[in-house]
Amino acid sequence: MLARKTATRTLILTLLALSLSLALTGCQRASQQGNSAPASGVTMDFTIDPDPALVGQTQAIVTLTAADGQPVTGATVALKGDMSHAGMQPVLADAAEQDPGVYRTEFTWTMAGDWIVTVTASLADGTTAEQQFDLSVTR
Amino acid sequence: MTRTSASLHRPAPAFDLLRVPGLGRLLRWRWGRLVFQAPLAVIAAVMIYDGLTGPKLAPQNLATVATWVHYRGLVVLALLLAGNLFCMSCPFTLPRTLAQRLARHGRRWPRALRNKWLAITLFVGLLFLYEAFDLWASPWLTAWLIVAYFVAAFVFEALFAESPFCKYLCPIGAFNFVGSTISPLQITSRDADVCRSCVGKECVNGSAQVLGCGTELFVPQIRSNLDCVLCLDCARACPHDNVALAARKPLSELTNAAWPRRWDVALLALVFTFAALGNAFGMVPPVYELEAALAGWLGTDNEVLILALIFGVLYVLAPVLAGVGAAWLSRGLAGGERIRVVLGRYAPAVVPLGFAIWFAHYWFHFASGALTIIPVLQSFMIDHGVALLGSAPNWRLGAILPANGLFLLELGSVLIGFLASLAVLRQIADNAHNDSRMARRAMTPWLVLLVLVAVLAVTLFTLPMEMRGMMTG
Repeated sequence: MLARKTATRTLILTLLALSLSLALTGCQRASQQGNSAPASGVTMDFTIDPDPALVGQTQAIVTLTAADGQPVTGATVALKGDMSHAGMQPVLADAAEQDPGVYRTEFTWTMAGDWIVTVTASLADGTTAEQQFDLSVTR
Repeated sequence: MTRTSASLHRPAPAFDLLRVPGLGRLLRWRWGRLVFQAPLAVIAAVMIYDGLTGPKLAPQNLATVATWVHYRGLVVLALLLAGNLFCMSCPFTLPRTLAQRLARHGRRWPRALRNKWLAITLFVGLLFLYEAFDLWASPWLTAWLIVAYFVAAFVFEALFAESPFCKYLCPIGAFNFVGSTISPLQITSRDADVCRSCVGKECVNGSAQVLGCGTELFVPQIRSNLDCVLCLDCARACPHDNVALAARKPLSELTNAAWPRRWDVALLALVFTFAALGNAFGMVPPVYELEAALAGWLGTDNEVLILALIFGVLYVLAPVLAGVGAAWLSRGLAGGERIRVVLGRYAPAVVPLGFAIWFAHYWFHFASGALTIIPVLQSFMIDHGVALLGSAPNWRLGAILPANGLFLLELGSVLIGFLASLAVLRQIADNAHNDSRMARRAMTPWLVLLVLVAVLAVTLFTLPMEMRGMMTG
């Protein structure tokens, strides 16, 4: 009888803890809300040269296109490359506009593996577009 | 529980951490463990919160960075320099008092499970999940892993009268127990005569105010750190103030036949060592080539199945075959006892090398990314409207050692571990055989095993590392 009571109490407390954890999964931190798609109808394209990416220095090219198909000029474009593993220092770079809507920078892949590149474009109208791109880097 | 007077005798400890002014008092204080557990519990809660709600990128999330970089780096350092400090501060057992109240009339852990088989299974299982589900790359899964730990620790504490989770189940505990056998500190009695005349044996039975040892160790009989979570309840419960956390001779536990000669204990040490190799192997290019080759041979792209095959061999088959094979050869060369006894005698010799490989691997990550916790914390605080650490994360922070220093760290660690294992092996063989020629013959298969493991470890660390894992999409 006592053992059953103990088991019931344990079950209730466990379920409470799990419910709290599940409820948390519905929340998001401020910086994570709505950052996966470009704002303002801007299309963001990310390419690298050479492709596929090799460890070492490469060229990263970001192309910004407005909803009407016109290049987005005058933006400030920042790139941040993260590896999939925690604790790896990211690679940071700022891309400069070389042609209308085309932003280019040197980008150094420090290790082979899976990378996630976050491109953040601060547009001339004050809005920000951000998108993540996955790619594998080999030797 | 009954031992002869001679077996209880030991000299008074030269250094006792519990006698250090201030710190000793804090450690022996009734709420002393809580002082260490509470901050870790808060950190664990924040990690769960961020893992479930924060960035999906592992390098930007507190759950993944703190677990897979900082916890792992600091836990091996603590084991090396002091002892099982994580188990001492374990946040998962914080609800122990509540659970113990619930379990006042709980049942005993089944006799058939009073061994390390479940702990080995869960240890291997956790390492396999780590590979199969890229836990290092998933804040969400890491957070749920922490939740699962809290729940499991609580449930098993509540349902059973002792602490079976720590002693028989916990994979972290299994790792820490084996690692702590090389630690410089160990619980012991200050005066064996006091223990001999003690009536209540409160260190293990508990007193009205303080719980006794959760893993049911009797202080004057402790010769090993295996099973000691360093909770210091023994010191708090002892009415004679006769418990010491004493310094001991380096590696003495491994050479003094302190472990029971059991299959499970010996194989835990071997699995610990081979898992160190396997875990490092999971991060270098050959593992991806092997995966691709196996996928082709088996005609399947089921990654979980392929990884189960690879890591089943590395974590289970290899240590069993290597250990039993070395014991069989050792017996064949030097004659004598049963395989189990020979295995139990020599298995401790692999621990320093195994620990060194874990240390090298974990410290690669820690030394190359220790400072990444700062921008992650900055980002977390900024997201919550606190600009205490600045208004923008400094993502340029990362390593605490230069890249070329990392390899030297790995190589030096493996070399020191190998030499320590060699010293332990020689001492064990000398203790077991009066004839030095027979001792050399008995240790030869183990020496070959140690050389193989060390060469494999160095080879792994010379390979370029690749970090593959779950993508955000």
